Amino acid sequence: MHLVARTDPRAFECLYERHSGAAFSLAYRMVGKRGTAEDVVQEAFLNLWRSGARYERTRGSVRTWVLGIVHHRAIDALRRSTVHDKRRAGDEGIEERLEAKERTEVEVARRDEARTVRAAMDTLPAEQCQVIELAYFGGFSHSEIAELLSTPIGTIKGRMRLGLEKMRNALVAAGGAEGLIA
Amino acid sequence: MTDHEFTDDVGAYLLQALAPDEVAPFEAHLETCAECRRELALLRVAADALPNAAVQMTPPPDLKDRIMAVVNSEAELLQAAGARADEPIRPRERKRRFAGLLPAAWSARPGLALAATLMILVLGGTGALLGRSALDGNDPQVTAALGEAKLIQRKGGHSTLVATGLRPPGPGRVYQVWLKRPGQDPKPTNALFGARRDGSASVDVPGSLQGVETVLVTSEPEGGSQKPTTAPVIEAHPA
Repeated sequence: MHLVARTDPRAFECLYERHSGAAFSLAYRMVGKRGTAEDVVQEAFLNLWRSGARYERTRGSVRTWVLGIVHHRAIDALRRSTVHDKRRAGDEGIEERLEAKERTEVEVARRDEARTVRAAMDTLPAEQCQVIELAYFGGFSHSEIAELLSTPIGTIKGRMRLGLEKMRNALVAAGGAEGLIA
Repeated sequence: MTDHEFTDDVGAYLLQALAPDEVAPFEAHLETCAECRRELALLRVAADALPNAAVQMTPPPDLKDRIMAVVNSEAELLQAAGARADEPIRPRERKRRFAGLLPAAWSARPGLALAATLMILVLGGTGALLGRSALDGNDPQVTAALGEAKLIQRKGGHSTLVATGLRPPGPGRVYQVWLKRPGQDPKPTNALFGARRDGSASVDVPGSLQGVETVLVTSEPEGGSQKPTTAPVIEAHPA
């Protein structure tokens, strides 16, 4: 289904208003540079606009779908610009300047969810959390992580699966999984 | 938990950490393995929650301004093109055979034999139609494997491809625009798009078309590719 007609900028603006905060947060977390994060978000949302925001319910919530596109674009950006080396030196202080203030119910909910997810990640053994972070937020492939950590690929893949499994269990135990994927 | 060779690929797949050449075999395996599908559904809950772990920030206001400026401009352009956008102007002979331009794997695709109507529209810088008199000589030529397509070139600006009769690219796939210069492989662009339910589609072609021999459109996995992986469904020769 198409969420936004290409002749309806106002509908697109609503989509942007609702999801741009989470999109920018994810992009910045991944690329570590404000300018690159803005480029990623711009590419992702213009891609949505130009495709008529073609959304398939089977892929989860609208937010999950939007963030999936942002994630793809951020990985592209990381792999295009060798940001892997540069991203660790992010724009100092930007997180404080741009961190969402708890002004609206949506922003409060976003921050609560962030705490729930981070708490679930904190339950993981360090080596499982590390490979998930490197893969999801760093855009590294399993073979790159194996090389970085001097660890067999099979072990890396196993840590990814076990880590996600434990994280899922922690989210379900916290009662947050339904809200996070809705 | 599964106990075969793909057991541990579920996590890497969800984290997009598989090598590109591992994705298709894994997805093919998913079609036949209920246990891996079940595992995938279970672990997806965690993978989908991961973006929420980022420190939640407010995007800069000028980012919205920039995006909405493009969106409003394109909406106006589409509305300005209106009925004239679908009006065929004149078909032209292709400069070369479609297959001659493409890698061998592409030229073997039977869908290309359906290459259809050629149409051209040229828009002025403000989106106003210049009319047919402006089209003499160096018109863009567009070939669509399915349906019809046209390349709208703006003076001094980027261009827009408009298509009709296009099939949806399929689940998890998008159409991607490529720019090919003489003697070079097609270069990827960030222009990804889908087709509407009625088969229509439009996409801005990023950047200048100066020196570009062919604008191509192929179906690619969601997020796009670095090299074309399927035969083009649209081929346009800029004016």
